Amino acid sequence: MKRAALLALGVVLYAVAAWMVAPGFYDGIAPPQPYNFTCPPPQAGANSKPSSGHVDIKVIGGVSDASSAYTDDGQIVIGFLPGAFEADGKNTISVDIKPYPTCPHPAGIQFVTNIYQISATAPLAKASNLDMLFSNLLPDPDKIYSATDPTDGWQSVGNAQPTRPSVISTQTSSLGYFAAGYRSTSPSSGAVTLGGGQTLPIIVAILIVVVILAGLPVAVLKRRSGPRRDRK
Amino acid sequence: MLLIEWSRTLLAQRPGLTLAALVLGGTALVAMASGWPPERLGLGASKFGLRVIGGVALGAVLLLPAAARPGAAPLLPAGLALAAVVVSVGEEVAFRGALYAALEDIGGAPLAIGGSTVLWTLAHALSHPLPFLGAVAAAGLLLALWRWACKDLVAPIIGHVIADLAL
Repeated sequence: MKRAALLALGVVLYAVAAWMVAPGFYDGIAPPQPYNFTCPPPQAGANSKPSSGHVDIKVIGGVSDASSAYTDDGQIVIGFLPGAFEADGKNTISVDIKPYPTCPHPAGIQFVTNIYQISATAPLAKASNLDMLFSNLLPDPDKIYSATDPTDGWQSVGNAQPTRPSVISTQTSSLGYFAAGYRSTSPSSGAVTLGGGQTLPIIVAILIVVVILAGLPVAVLKRRSGPRRDRK
Repeated sequence: MLLIEWSRTLLAQRPGLTLAALVLGGTALVAMASGWPPERLGLGASKFGLRVIGGVALGAVLLLPAAARPGAAPLLPAGLALAAVVVSVGEEVAFRGALYAALEDIGGAPLAIGGSTVLWTLAHALSHPLPFLGAVAAAGLLLALWRWACKDLVAPIIGHVIADLAL
């Protein structure tokens, strides 16, 4: 009886503790940081505005230094190799990353990240690695798209791959506007479909039904075996 | 155990190494229990059906707070399902299996429950932000209490796997 009571106390403690944090704490896989949306989906809850970023890259001996530019919230990172820019007599090259203030919906593409504008005071001479963080509240993207005009002409960039949880990476040879997403006619492979937020309750309901259905025969067997012991 | 957990957490953050780090880390955790008889780890075969039902019930309890909330909860990416299973089994065998048994030999059930919960929480200190550690600790305590109350590790393994696969 004492054991059952302590176990019940453990259940209550867990329920309270788990209720106090955002749903979803992966075990062994860190819960992703909340994504700062320009246009948050309804399930996002409290949302902070996405950050911008800036870096000045030195040019030494006509070759731009290795560097990276990223937003303060780390939602987009672009890495530059030495000589990544056509320096053309410049002493420094400035790179700016700005979240685009609105959320255009180009035909056939569903974006799951913000759109970011990456601009520099010199054009790229070498392909650069681009990492984009995405939210776990929307389906996973399978491509990174780029455009020179955010309202039109979006094309997928390189061979984008998820490189770690909630990050998709690719290489780009030019700067402009970037966003991660998938073709809207077919959801991305391995996408997490939330089912309107009903998936988890259904899973739990099934588990409870399984426990009840499987537990009933056990309870009946126990009741039947009880009187036999008494007769002995 | 802490070294394995922290190492795999740090490795999993490197591009391209996530799956390998999780699978290798989970396997290494299972190896920590080598030498212990299955019964001492709580892996006996008696009343196996009840243990399985208990595991399903634990899975439901672990998922209930997230399921009861309005709005969508994040689900595990499909590509990480195998890793989640290996890590779940590894953590249960290591923390509620071998560590629990070792601590029980030294200081009885209170030390086994408390010690395994504290070390389990510390093991997640690198992978989880501070606000999540309370929930991690409470989950560890619940699973350790089951291990003590039912002398069983099968149910915590099943419950942990279900929770990690679904959330």
